[in-house]
Amino acid sequence: MAVLGIPILENLYPSTMDMWPLESKEFNRNWQFYENLKQGKLTTTKCKDCGLVSWPPRVICPECYSENLEYTDLPNKGKIIVFSEEVRGVPLGFESPLIHAVIDLGVAPARRVLSRIVNCPAGVLKRGDEVQLAVFPVPAMPIDKGKLGTVMFERVFFAFEPVKK
Amino acid sequence: MARHAVILAGGQCKWGVREAHLVDLFQEAAKACFDDIPTLKPKDVDGIIVASSYAGRCSFQVNTAPVIAERVGVKPTSICTRVDVLCAGGSTGIILAKGLVESGVSDIVMVTGGEKLYTPQKWEVFYSELASVDHDWDGTNGMGLPPPFFSLTAQEHMMHYGTTKEQLAAVSVANYNYAATNTVAQMQKPLTLEEAMNAPSVVPPLTLYDCCPITDGAAACIITTDEIAKKFSDRPLVYIRGTAQVCLNSVSANFPGEHLADWKHTRLAGQKAYAAAKVAPSDIKVAQTHDCFTISEVIEVEEFGFCKKGEGGEFCGSKQIELGGKVPVNTDGGLLACGHPFGATGIRQGIEMLKQLQGRARHQVKGADMGLTHNLSGANAEHTVLIYGREPVK
Repeated sequence: MAVLGIPILENLYPSTMDMWPLESKEFNRNWQFYENLKQGKLTTTKCKDCGLVSWPPRVICPECYSENLEYTDLPNKGKIIVFSEEVRGVPLGFESPLIHAVIDLGVAPARRVLSRIVNCPAGVLKRGDEVQLAVFPVPAMPIDKGKLGTVMFERVFFAFEPVKK
Repeated sequence: MARHAVILAGGQCKWGVREAHLVDLFQEAAKACFDDIPTLKPKDVDGIIVASSYAGRCSFQVNTAPVIAERVGVKPTSICTRVDVLCAGGSTGIILAKGLVESGVSDIVMVTGGEKLYTPQKWEVFYSELASVDHDWDGTNGMGLPPPFFSLTAQEHMMHYGTTKEQLAAVSVANYNYAATNTVAQMQKPLTLEEAMNAPSVVPPLTLYDCCPITDGAAACIITTDEIAKKFSDRPLVYIRGTAQVCLNSVSANFPGEHLADWKHTRLAGQKAYAAAKVAPSDIKVAQTHDCFTISEVIEVEEFGFCKKGEGGEFCGSKQIELGGKVPVNTDGGLLACGHPFGATGIRQGIEMLKQLQGRARHQVKGADMGLTHNLSGANAEHTVLIYGREPVK
């Protein structure tokens, strides 16, 4: 697996070219968000002191600066407010059609979440359609563990898909 | 005595797909800048601010300011730094330089910006655009390239205000025609409404001419005080009267408006800049607003108060942005036709304002004595406004 033009990068992982988050505990204090996703749950952080629910999850409350946060569930279903479809010229890393939508999950701060619609051909979606959470695997991240060698850390990410009628 | 910041001179290299290195482009821009003011020499400059967001990703060069200072022959003693605010880098450099010269930290600052975005393989810049938005939360949704986001914005403007595709096309026609004789612009061809309406689709309703291109290029300008400027130039002084930079969100999901066509942060930036400059929207004779997409310009003329909210489509579609209209906008061609090397764009806008207010622009607005420039950066995450005038704020 040589990198074209840069033979010294053979079998090396350049995280600066990785389009997915560094989701593991060693590299991300919000690692639990991704663990929750693996269980099929869309979550975010809530401040246990002032009650503010933030999106995306974070490690301090942006309102009262408390570090006393907990994970809380967000709805798995929502409605499409507006969407766009890109059929040609879809960027590297995504498949055609690349569909984006502003989705109302019904509760703050998720009344207008901008996400992607997957498992859906072009030309069938309508405004107001119901969509549900879709969790999918993304490439595992190779972490250098010194004498233990390289450990592959499994990763997932999420989008939404039409609810089958 | 109060020190008042002015833009003294400026220049840019040819923008487009350039057979050149990033540092080559900065050198060309510096030459064009000093060619605009032959009495000023690089040794007179005591500070440099370099605006470049992709130097790290596309040119493998961080800590860019010392590299550029050395290449352009400037030996700064008051400030030597880089700013990265993506599309607003150049404007941010001018804001910072204004503060530095007015406070007395610096006397003469070169603000220069540039990007080399076309790399040996075409995929790389498109892929690297994932770094332009919140990497983990928007990049992962394929939001790095902005057409989908502005498609949603255009659709919501159409839904709420009845804006039409023809009105969007009128923006690209105006801006391409402004650039048709601009020898440093990326696009130098007149455009008809018919051509704009029949262009290939990008992300509906956006078509080819609704979107600004990807551009290599650099620009440079000189910011100093009015009293120092008088020693070097007899041209009318162009003051930076007031500025504002507003950031209310970063992740697209936390967009501050009621919907994607309600640009609360833009409005706030305009209000703050007007207040600082002690002017009203009706005082603005010429504007360079951030036309990364045609819909952007439509919304910006509303949020800056050139017309009522919701009437931007009608305003642009009825030639109010053209010479002879209420507020000519993007008189050098804007981002749509000049191109958009992120860090350089705000400087290009400042240079056009310098020329307009000195009466030496290619498309001169008669009686131009007050102008506004504006940038949007990120996934509509930040808005930067500068107001230039022929007189200082009193």
